[in-house]
Amino acid sequence: MSSVTTDTPLAPAVRGSRGLSLWIGALVVLILIGLGVWIYQLSQGLQITHMRDNVIWGLYIISFMFFVGLSAGGLIVASAGRLFDVKQFTPIVRLAVVEATVCIATAALLIIPDLGNPQRILNLFIHAHWLSPMIWDVTVILIYLVLSLLYLWLYTRRDLAERGSWMALGTKDTSDGARAHDHHLTYILAWIALPAAVLVHSITAWIFGLQISRGFWYSAIMPPLFISSALVSGLALVTILALVVRRTGRVSFGDDLTTFLGGLLAVFLAVEAFLMLSEVLAGYYPGIPTDAVHQLFSGRYAPGFAIEIVVGIVIPFVLLAVAAWRRRPQVVVVASVLALIGIFVHRANLIVIGLGKDPIALPPGTPLGTPLANGSSFAPSSVYFPSIWEFLIVLGIVALCALLFTLAVRYLPLKEKTPV
Amino acid sequence: MNTSYVGIDVPDPAIQKATRLGMVVDQNKCIGCWTCAVACKQQQNVGIGLYWLRVLTVGGDAMDTPAGTFPALTMSYQSTNCFHCDNPPCVKACPTQATFKMDNGIVNVDYDRCIGCRYCMVACPYDNRVFNWRTPVQEPPADVAVVGETPARPKGVVEKCTFCVQRTTDGLLPRCVVACPTGARVFGDLDDPNSEVSVLLRERPSYVVFPERGTEPSLHYLIRTGPNAEGGAF
Repeated sequence: MSSVTTDTPLAPAVRGSRGLSLWIGALVVLILIGLGVWIYQLSQGLQITHMRDNVIWGLYIISFMFFVGLSAGGLIVASAGRLFDVKQFTPIVRLAVVEATVCIATAALLIIPDLGNPQRILNLFIHAHWLSPMIWDVTVILIYLVLSLLYLWLYTRRDLAERGSWMALGTKDTSDGARAHDHHLTYILAWIALPAAVLVHSITAWIFGLQISRGFWYSAIMPPLFISSALVSGLALVTILALVVRRTGRVSFGDDLTTFLGGLLAVFLAVEAFLMLSEVLAGYYPGIPTDAVHQLFSGRYAPGFAIEIVVGIVIPFVLLAVAAWRRRPQVVVVASVLALIGIFVHRANLIVIGLGKDPIALPPGTPLGTPLANGSSFAPSSVYFPSIWEFLIVLGIVALCALLFTLAVRYLPLKEKTPV
Repeated sequence: MNTSYVGIDVPDPAIQKATRLGMVVDQNKCIGCWTCAVACKQQQNVGIGLYWLRVLTVGGDAMDTPAGTFPALTMSYQSTNCFHCDNPPCVKACPTQATFKMDNGIVNVDYDRCIGCRYCMVACPYDNRVFNWRTPVQEPPADVAVVGETPARPKGVVEKCTFCVQRTTDGLLPRCVVACPTGARVFGDLDDPNSEVSVLLRERPSYVVFPERGTEPSLHYLIRTGPNAEGGAF
């Protein structure tokens, strides 16, 4: 792997190589734990989770949505920047594509532990039912994964060829002319990647938004809301990762970029707030007390909703709206972390409220799927909090995501060498 | 092998020829005894904690409690199972065609194909589908219970009422219909104007649950009349 060190001043990374080994070691341990718990889940069935017949989907699907969003947001930012020639993005555009690629692979993996019979997963292709939004999603995610890998390869192959890396996959020409050619190809691919990224998250939204049985979800605003959540969380994660990776010297940019990203994040947060307001107001105004929207303000969902709005939107927006604060990278990072937490809680609320608010308002006599400790099989109401096993499996998959990202940063040339 | 009730389990060719099997539940006759639910569990060998058919208490705070405040109390029940909709959202949602509509109107599940994603449960507006969160546990064990020829279900698949597909294919009534001590459950071909269900629906006021969602259920409730008349559990 001596070829790695050719183009970057690696001093900080070399100094940190012991830390890197520890980090990778820790991730591998988490991955192995997750794998072990998944095998345990395979033997026991999904009863080891806290999902039941009243809250059918849980942490796995919440995390799935979250990671599709992270990926779509990253790729939308990267490809829109390329399409509209936003020069500020150039130093981090490869990093954003790496983030998009790794996160979509993670999202695809997160579906597997949610399945009751993962060994039958090929039925999705053998017996595909094209009326099901889930089949649309499987298809678009696979296409999107290939597309982002291709995009990443186009961005890096000349530099990889220069290093003599096998990952150049046969590319030899490293001349300026060849680079200019690739630069043009990335522009063409951006035309495909941008709509694909929008589509991948819209279709994920339609899995929920097309179901008339779930009043909390059945809304035309779902795709736009999902896209805005994706933009917020994707940009927030790219910003955090860019600042972390900058410390290793593998990307370099000035603080003016974080200021720019912070300003953009503030705009995305405002759009998110606007769409949320539209949706909540439309649900609240008719004044139907049984509507789940009413529980957002005073019912049992109020704390989660408060985190979503205050921690996830208001505080980061204020931090980023003040120009003087936005100039400090630390503030932008804090705002980004808060925005990420907010979007995750938003997605958790969406699932738990959407499912927990039963379509038939839980009349006495609704079975849970397994007996309770008191011997009864009937639930008076729906509550859901993930079990330790669910957390460990998700943690293992997220650790795999972090490992892939770490390796990509370590072995891929992330610095843009655009021909003048 | 069918466990037959002498004099009751007589094959009816009309059921075999049906194009839209449906059920009518007479809310005047239901006494909330759960016999249908227990018969269903035996016939279909449904695991502990799962119910293909369940009896909802109308209005009360808990099971078997009356609705209203003293002295104006009413007590009533509503049994519910898969509605075998004519426009079934679960069939549309299933990504692998494991849930499908048969020519006689029954919505069935292929337990060998289901991947266990539970999207059909999300799509069902009536909570009438159940999931095997574990390998199904039977008590008494399957070989002791009165068992039909329902295929065994592994863990991780969705299951639900099939209108006793193995009996109705032979022209027999679903077990819940046979078991109901008050005759509240009536079964037949909704497309046949002379069937008992069609006649009841013509002669008595009835309703389906959530008609505005366009699912067109094949299970109808005859509205409860008399001094204790009131709405259903839905």
